[in-house]
Amino acid sequence: MDLEFIISLIVQIVMIGVIAVALMTAFAAMVMVERKLLGRFTLRYGPNRVGKYGSLQIIADMFKLFFKEEVIPGHVERTVYLMAPGLALVPALMAFAVVPIAGAPFTLPFQIMGTPITINPWIANVNVGVLYILAIGSLGTYGVILGGWSSNNKYSLLGGLRTSAQMLSYELPMGLAMLSAILIVGSMQLTNIVEFQASYLGGFFWLILVQPVAFIVFYICALAEAGRSPFDLPETENELIAGFSTEYGGMKFGLFFAAEYVHMIVVSFIMATVFLGGWSGPFAQQAPFLGIGYLLIKVAFILFTMIWVRASIPRVRFDKLMKFCWKFLLPVSIANAAATALVLAVLFF
Amino acid sequence: MTIEAPPPSDNGVEVPAELKQNVFFGKLDDLYNWGRAYSLWPLTMGLACCAIEMIATGTARYDQDRFGAALFRATPRQADFMIVSGTVTKKMLPQIIRIFNQMAEPKYVISMGACANGGGPFKEGYNVVSGIDKFIPVDVYVPGCPPTPQALLNGIIKLQEKIQGQSIKTVPWYRPEERTEPVPMPILGPDLIDPRQVSLIKDTLEKARQPEEAEGDENGEAPRPKRVVKPPKLPTWDITPTDEATALADSINQALQADQAVVPEANTLIVAPEHLVAFGRHVRDDLGYELLSNVTGVDYLGREGDRFEVVYHAYNVRQPEKPALVFKARAAEDKPELPSLYGVWKTCYLQEREIYDLYGINFTDHPNMKRVLLWDGFHGHPLRKDYEEAYYEDPVKPFPSRWPGGDHARAETRNPFGKNVIYPQDWDIDQWTPDEVEHNLDHVIEARDIKEGVDFDTDRIVLNLGPHHPSTHGVFRMVVAMEGETIVDLEPVFGYLHRNHEKIGERNSWIMNMPFTDRLDYLNSMQNNLAYALTVEKLAGLAVPERAEYIRVIMCELTRVFSHMSLVGFLASDLGCMFTPLFYAFEGRERVVDLFEEASGSRMMCNYMRFGGVTYDISDDWLKRAETVTNTLERGLEELHTLITGNEIVLSRTKDIGYLSPEDLLSHGVTGPMLRAAGIKYDIRRVDPYSIYDRFDFDVPTLPDSDIFCRFYQRILEARESIKILRQAYKGIKDTEPGDIMGGKKGYIFRPPAGEAYVRTEHSKGELGFYVVSNKSDSPWRYRVRSPSFINLNALADMCKGGKVADTIVTLGAIDIVLGEVDR
Repeated sequence: MDLEFIISLIVQIVMIGVIAVALMTAFAAMVMVERKLLGRFTLRYGPNRVGKYGSLQIIADMFKLFFKEEVIPGHVERTVYLMAPGLALVPALMAFAVVPIAGAPFTLPFQIMGTPITINPWIANVNVGVLYILAIGSLGTYGVILGGWSSNNKYSLLGGLRTSAQMLSYELPMGLAMLSAILIVGSMQLTNIVEFQASYLGGFFWLILVQPVAFIVFYICALAEAGRSPFDLPETENELIAGFSTEYGGMKFGLFFAAEYVHMIVVSFIMATVFLGGWSGPFAQQAPFLGIGYLLIKVAFILFTMIWVRASIPRVRFDKLMKFCWKFLLPVSIANAAATALVLAVLFF
Repeated sequence: MTIEAPPPSDNGVEVPAELKQNVFFGKLDDLYNWGRAYSLWPLTMGLACCAIEMIATGTARYDQDRFGAALFRATPRQADFMIVSGTVTKKMLPQIIRIFNQMAEPKYVISMGACANGGGPFKEGYNVVSGIDKFIPVDVYVPGCPPTPQALLNGIIKLQEKIQGQSIKTVPWYRPEERTEPVPMPILGPDLIDPRQVSLIKDTLEKARQPEEAEGDENGEAPRPKRVVKPPKLPTWDITPTDEATALADSINQALQADQAVVPEANTLIVAPEHLVAFGRHVRDDLGYELLSNVTGVDYLGREGDRFEVVYHAYNVRQPEKPALVFKARAAEDKPELPSLYGVWKTCYLQEREIYDLYGINFTDHPNMKRVLLWDGFHGHPLRKDYEEAYYEDPVKPFPSRWPGGDHARAETRNPFGKNVIYPQDWDIDQWTPDEVEHNLDHVIEARDIKEGVDFDTDRIVLNLGPHHPSTHGVFRMVVAMEGETIVDLEPVFGYLHRNHEKIGERNSWIMNMPFTDRLDYLNSMQNNLAYALTVEKLAGLAVPERAEYIRVIMCELTRVFSHMSLVGFLASDLGCMFTPLFYAFEGRERVVDLFEEASGSRMMCNYMRFGGVTYDISDDWLKRAETVTNTLERGLEELHTLITGNEIVLSRTKDIGYLSPEDLLSHGVTGPMLRAAGIKYDIRRVDPYSIYDRFDFDVPTLPDSDIFCRFYQRILEARESIKILRQAYKGIKDTEPGDIMGGKKGYIFRPPAGEAYVRTEHSKGELGFYVVSNKSDSPWRYRVRSPSFINLNALADMCKGGKVADTIVTLGAIDIVLGEVDR
């Protein structure tokens, strides 16, 4: 094995670690921002006692959860019950692997054993990136379903059942929305999708401009996939106590909690990448670091709208949610994909 | 426990080994305590009135979230501390202890309010636990009735201080040898049984069964001298029938083709039990008395003839000018039995069960003749005049001056069990087994086995919503049988906040009941005050000065506006709206309760009205600010309206949900906004005006569809009308004489003349009525609250069947219940 390969392997592993830690930090920041924003939406301040403006609130919460007694109720299916929180969190983190965070590889200003070190702005640039995201996304559902089932509690079971139905249904229009984008770009590789958007209209040929319907469908599905309001039916505090996580406490609940937020962050990254031009922006190709900034701004905006939606809209009823998916979203996204294909066929053949 | 200071290390002093450990733990303690203190997730559990102030603590003005203590968790597994907010009843106690046991260590308990601390005003009640600390360890007590939000915030800060004083080395939850066992679950037997007390109960009952002479001599204690108490005076009043009653009785007798089926008495009719059902059919179908508003029992202990009496108040809704129909049926002491009127008016389902529960009158042919407020197996029927509670004092209270023997100890200190419990003497705890199945739920649970008409054969789930549930608006419980997520059957279960209001009311003096009415519907204390004051004024024939009338109207309408706004907020959060509308609505409430606090001295429990007027006058400045607040409320109302009414999701979740026809609603005894949302224009302020409501110009809005959306929108329309009334009242009150706020002559003890009176008012939740019987003594002989929330709940099951679980929550929310009033 040559040195270059080993070094790139090490760099890759370090990158994975960095991204995972960064995502968990983003989760912490996200919770914080959400609590502050929800406070503002409801005319309050939100947490402000620990740290500046309450910025350490989530650290306190995590400490507390970490030291909390680990209760394992006697009536649960033990192995599955313990596995489920991890099963929910890991796929959420994994989906990030294919997202390009900048336009070009970074070269570090030093060399190890004469080998220049370049860091790719992605972890894996697979050519079926979109498929990978959809596949990993559905894996995350298992954590929730198994958590709900293994808890052996009626509320959890109902929450788990709702999840399985909801997530499976919403994957279809989500995939079709992605398909419309792929048809235009002609590639499933996320780097290609971004580069395509960056190369026309002075870097502003964002797919949202030509595919607004697909974007809206994708946004709605993303809310449903991440279990966010108004599609937070797996938890539905008002009906099912805490849904699938009713029997989970302490750090196990902390993991579910983290999974939801990481899911939401990753989905926003994907949305920004596919529809909002990813890292593209003025001078992003010349200075890759700018690209990270552009991407983060876009993601932050999407996350803000998600919190906004949560603060202002009531929840959809379960059966209406399914009806909405199968009778509205799915036909719309099929029609959109078909129309896209037709227009492309007319234009280019 | 203080944290060790770090030892100086740079000057070469050697640090002893045990100190080193302390330094490590000291630092860890800092972090550990910091994390615990600033991340306190409360359990979503509201028990009674205090829960409203608990919610207020989370809202904009107080913002509990600042302290990191407002991430409310609905499941005990995730919560860190429990705010026992309100009266703990015996029926509710096992659930609270179960929840407490399910919480993970470290867990804390804040006891909020007088009731949780020690029983509060309801301490002597037969269904009240006098202090939660008799069962679970409490960390912080917050005094007040209810404590203001500031007080609760202070309690939370105190809890944080307490946590920061602990050390990871000494906290019990990491030491297996100090591990606390789960608190044993109390059992509901003839009274509440604490498993830790079983041997004590056995011994005490054994001793009590011994012959009398053995008692007292051994420990030299003389038996308590029994005060001779005069038996209470039976209420008697002039019962010469009025001409109208006689004429009505004659015509009904003719229609029933019976001679003595109905006998007139004063302005009421006495119906013979065997003709009761036929009489009911006749007055409903032929005379149009569709709304049987109030059904209640009275115990005339010691009266010649039949001891028990059941009083019915019926109204004709389509022709409101027709007078109220009051009829009574009597039951004998040895076999108290009456035919059930459930077949005629469905409202009897709950009301007759309540009478059975509290008086032991059995209604034949009732579909589910089980206890409703107490649990099956409870010993005795508490509202009977000869029932004495565990902490019962003689009518002569144990002051030294009133107890010549010198032995004036309170009954509370004499109770051998140290708790508010009493067991029948012949009860043998060894032979007794607790009921495993709650019998009144059988029909719901059996719904599992109904397979007919099912195209896809699946198992049904019986799901228990409540009494601890985030969306039951308190400690209310619904047992639902579900097919998938569709409701097949539903049975509401009551009594988790049964605070013995009516029994306490019969022990209190007349005026002492006024603050208790505050705690009925704790969002609407002013309207409750008014209804009770009007009832006693009618009985005593008191006149109310003009200014007091205006003040009453202003207070009541302010209450109505914010009560309706709160409903909109609560309903929105039942729909899943992240509290935003609720917090907006509570902004309005804060402004109104500020006004109330200034006028009466209390935010929630105003205790403001008196027989013949109000307690304090209001100033011009107050009025000016009230006008400003009214403008603010109007803006807030319109804001909520724009925020919610047009929302697609709200429409899809509320349109055509929970439909019930107007006829069914009437049969169920439903009144108030729910009835008007079904297109029936029936507002007591218009059809049976009280106070000075006939002077104001306002509309009675109605909506046609009788679904959740109409019920919700109806509230907004009515709040607008209330604002109209308020504006007129502010103008009208300027012409009155300041200071003239009390009518009638002043007296030391208030004793209204003997008689009975029923007055109904248009409360924001429906028809609130008080039925009182006086025997011209210090306290009422009978004190009955016809509470709209309780009776409106009659219709819940019919509205929910066929809907989804989520609809049940919203349907319940749209009925707008307040548990203090439901269970009383």
